[in-house]
Amino acid sequence: MMAASIEHRIRWSGILVAAGLIVQMLTLFWTHPLAFMAFLLVGCPLVAAGILLYLYSLVSHNTP
Amino acid sequence: MTSSVLILIAFSVIVTILVLFVAVRPEFTRARGGKIVAFIALCMLPVLAVWAGVNEHLERSTSTRFCLSCHVMANFGKSLYVDDKSFIPAEHFQNNFVPRDHACFTCHTDYTMFGDYKAKWRGVHHVLVQYFGKIPKPEDIRLYTPYNNRECLHCHAGARSYEEASSHHKTPDMLAQVASNKLSCISSGCHDTIHEVGTLNENTFWTPKTGGQ
Repeated sequence: MMAASIEHRIRWSGILVAAGLIVQMLTLFWTHPLAFMAFLLVGCPLVAAGILLYLYSLVSHNTP
Repeated sequence: MTSSVLILIAFSVIVTILVLFVAVRPEFTRARGGKIVAFIALCMLPVLAVWAGVNEHLERSTSTRFCLSCHVMANFGKSLYVDDKSFIPAEHFQNNFVPRDHACFTCHTDYTMFGDYKAKWRGVHHVLVQYFGKIPKPEDIRLYTPYNNRECLHCHAGARSYEEASSHHKTPDMLAQVASNKLSCISSGCHDTIHEVGTLNENTFWTPKTGGQ
């Protein structure tokens, strides 16, 4: 049950990080202030949320 | 697209694939090796990719092309091609006194410890105004604070042409006053023809034969 919960969080963490990295890649094809803002306001927060969720899944795991 | 950008994109693709692998098969993290891979894929490599992305975007945001990509800036870009030596930005741009591909940023950053970041922060404000605010007419755009001589002296201080020019010795302490910012380079009736976007169309323009942008 606990393992399933952690794996669920890791899955979501991976999805968030991957989404953020995809946004970053897309913004690299365009030299424009909007690309910079998209990277800063969408890509970075997605990656940060994914990393934080992953770290939370580690610390919230109580080993018996 | 430069090779550094291609490398960054390739790196991001590889990290994304690795991250998706962990996301699709999280049971992989039950084993000790899986835990290590997950930590590297979900924590270390994304941080590295984002750090590289931030650097790339910050570097791009210093380019002339980036600054002029907003419509309201078009006339400021045009002013760099005025065929008149009294136009300070045009004189600097056309003679490569500033790098042409970083022309705006070279003069409009503060040469202080956090000057680059202040300039970026102002840029973020400009983008918000561009899309969510009332865009001023080009001729109504003003600097936030009076232009600091420090930005001119970053290059000119110590140059023979600057220190020995007779016009810079009209009074004995003129250079000292300029250095202490008490006498402005650009608004004391000396070098006061800047972008002048309001009357730009009254001028003729230089067309670069080669190497222009």
